[in-house]
Amino acid sequence: MSMTRAELQDSARKAFGEGGLAANAETSWGLIAEMGWLMMAVPEDQGGLGLGREATGVIHTELGRALVPGPAIAQMLVIEALSAANGLPERDELLARAIGGEVMTASLAGSGATGLLRCVPDADRASHILVVEPARVTLVPVADVDVTPRDIWDKTRRLFDVRLSGTASGLVLAEGDAAAALAERLEGQLLFALAGDSLGGADAILELTIDYLKLRHQFSRPLALFQALKHRVANMKTWLAASEALFWSRAADTSAALPELGALKAHATSVYRIIAEDAVQLHGGIGLTMEHHCHLFLKRAMLNCALGGDSDHWEEQAGRQALNASA
Amino acid sequence: MTDALETLRHEVRAWLEANAPADWREACTSHDAFLATQRGWFAKLAEGGYAVPHWPAEWPGGGRSLAEQKIIYEELARADTPRLLLSFMSTYHAASTLFEWGSTAQQQLYIPRILEGEIWCQGFSEPGAGSDLANVKTRAERRGDVYVVNGQKLWSTMGQFADKCLLLVRTSSDGAKQAGLTYLLLDLKAKGVTARPIHQIHGDEEFAELFLDDVEVPVAERLGEEGQGWAVAQSTLSSERGLTLLELSARMRGALWRIADLIREAGREDDPGILRDFGRLATNVDATCALADHFLATRIAGEERVGDASLVKLSYSRTLRDYTALGLRLGGMEAQYHTPIIFGGGMETGNWMADFMNSYAWTIAGGSDEVQRNIISERLLGMPREPKSWTLEGAA
Repeated sequence: MSMTRAELQDSARKAFGEGGLAANAETSWGLIAEMGWLMMAVPEDQGGLGLGREATGVIHTELGRALVPGPAIAQMLVIEALSAANGLPERDELLARAIGGEVMTASLAGSGATGLLRCVPDADRASHILVVEPARVTLVPVADVDVTPRDIWDKTRRLFDVRLSGTASGLVLAEGDAAAALAERLEGQLLFALAGDSLGGADAILELTIDYLKLRHQFSRPLALFQALKHRVANMKTWLAASEALFWSRAADTSAALPELGALKAHATSVYRIIAEDAVQLHGGIGLTMEHHCHLFLKRAMLNCALGGDSDHWEEQAGRQALNASA
Repeated sequence: MTDALETLRHEVRAWLEANAPADWREACTSHDAFLATQRGWFAKLAEGGYAVPHWPAEWPGGGRSLAEQKIIYEELARADTPRLLLSFMSTYHAASTLFEWGSTAQQQLYIPRILEGEIWCQGFSEPGAGSDLANVKTRAERRGDVYVVNGQKLWSTMGQFADKCLLLVRTSSDGAKQAGLTYLLLDLKAKGVTARPIHQIHGDEEFAELFLDDVEVPVAERLGEEGQGWAVAQSTLSSERGLTLLELSARMRGALWRIADLIREAGREDDPGILRDFGRLATNVDATCALADHFLATRIAGEERVGDASLVKLSYSRTLRDYTALGLRLGGMEAQYHTPIIFGGGMETGNWMADFMNSYAWTIAGGSDEVQRNIISERLLGMPREPKSWTLEGAA
């Protein structure tokens, strides 16, 4: 990696930090494209930075930390799929447009469904939708699909249902075995991205909660002096540190299989959920208000738990894998 | 995995095939058999060059990289070899404290002896100094070239079998409690030392009580200066919280097959609830291993913060409890029938009730989980320290 993880982290944190939490969607998207963060993983001969999974991990954690809105995760899935479409004549041109910020989006729901794609971010302003089927991966122009907005609790994301019309064909990016392999890679990438987003968010809300406990006084002393609360926070920090270590070790492990990335996603989203849940509790009344930022983290945490296949699914897969590993 | 590491893995595996002790679990039903197994296996490992891979390169068997150490530990666990419980304190606590604080003469004297199998224990805790370790009351009075020591030590792991003891004593009662402590190397064969084994809840006697009655310790057997004992003790404790967890977490990962076997024996391979619990456990084990790796990389880079080691210890101790609890649950009624314990079998013997009870060793010993949580919240997260004094409301 030509740029170290710390350097990349530093520049991303500074850039997103200026906009504050859940910043303006358009400004954030412009920034993401301008900084070149969408092309992190694209090979250099295709106009990308060739930095691999660890670098995208930095971007996803920083996006999560600042609750950045927009379709970055979906866009990176499209870019990955385009990058793999070696036989497609339009590939380089489409790739350049996607890297430059023209919205091309994909479902974040996880396992593939035909006909109806759910949880597709920013589909209303996209030019193309990625359709992943078991034997075929296509890029369909938005004109060939019906887009229905779905109002969700997490207002930092905008999700849509996308219905493919019977005649929609689109550009074929991969077919047969290549499509199956690509589909698995994309699913792994989605799980990894959701894990990163969750760990960034968890770290941010934990820090804000600790700051609040130090500031808020009751019974003539800061809340941070109560051992019952200190120990809860210490537990959260321990779970988070373990989840972060797992995230970076899987980021560096190019052979990590799908159940391993699923287990990581289940772990990271659970940690996020637990920390965001307790953050509201530890903030007391103020945590229940719309003015305060606690609820933004809580809602994004819950959404991340549901996207990409839930913990029940992935923990079961992880259990099966561990069972088979010792057969 | 690089070729060099793969080669090492094959080397270790081949060496273990030829040298790993067989049937030691069946044999270790008495302390004598335990001691013989432990001594024999340590000597063999030392001869093979795998006993102290975590030591610095200038000592025989040392100088292995973290990646190499991990492979050695994984292979030792995979071959189901006995953990070096008897020499655990010697090769970790004593050695790392000697490396950091020992004079050249002290290192030249003791490090080779440890490699030859000398057994060390730790004399820190006392009846009135558990989590509040600075409250140590055992007195050492200087008389010429010796300290005369009087007091009582508790929970000295392997204390009844040990030759030497890392001893924390009070040389002064003035000023802060920590400032009056001094660190001595006690010969347990010295006159006035009585070691009494303590019978634990799982039936073994892994630690002892030490009674010290006018015991003379030469001044030359002091580590650091008089009054520096607290700082020296921290280095002993941080060795336990740091380095050892790389090995222990690799051991726990290597022992996941025991749970898998139970699931198969119970015919519950397709029970989603059990699979989820096992999947969660396996992921927590992986996360703990990753955290131990990350911690050591941080330490080597000189970027370790106070409290980092506590994160690893807490993550390990909770995951070990989960591991043994899941085994106990899956073991059902069968696990409730009393089975004689394997002395020195470690935390993953498959005698689930005993393993479960043994897991408390990690949530209590070496600084309890609660102490780790204090360290994490106060030192790492900057939350306010506990007030130094307190009064009970309404008390006279």
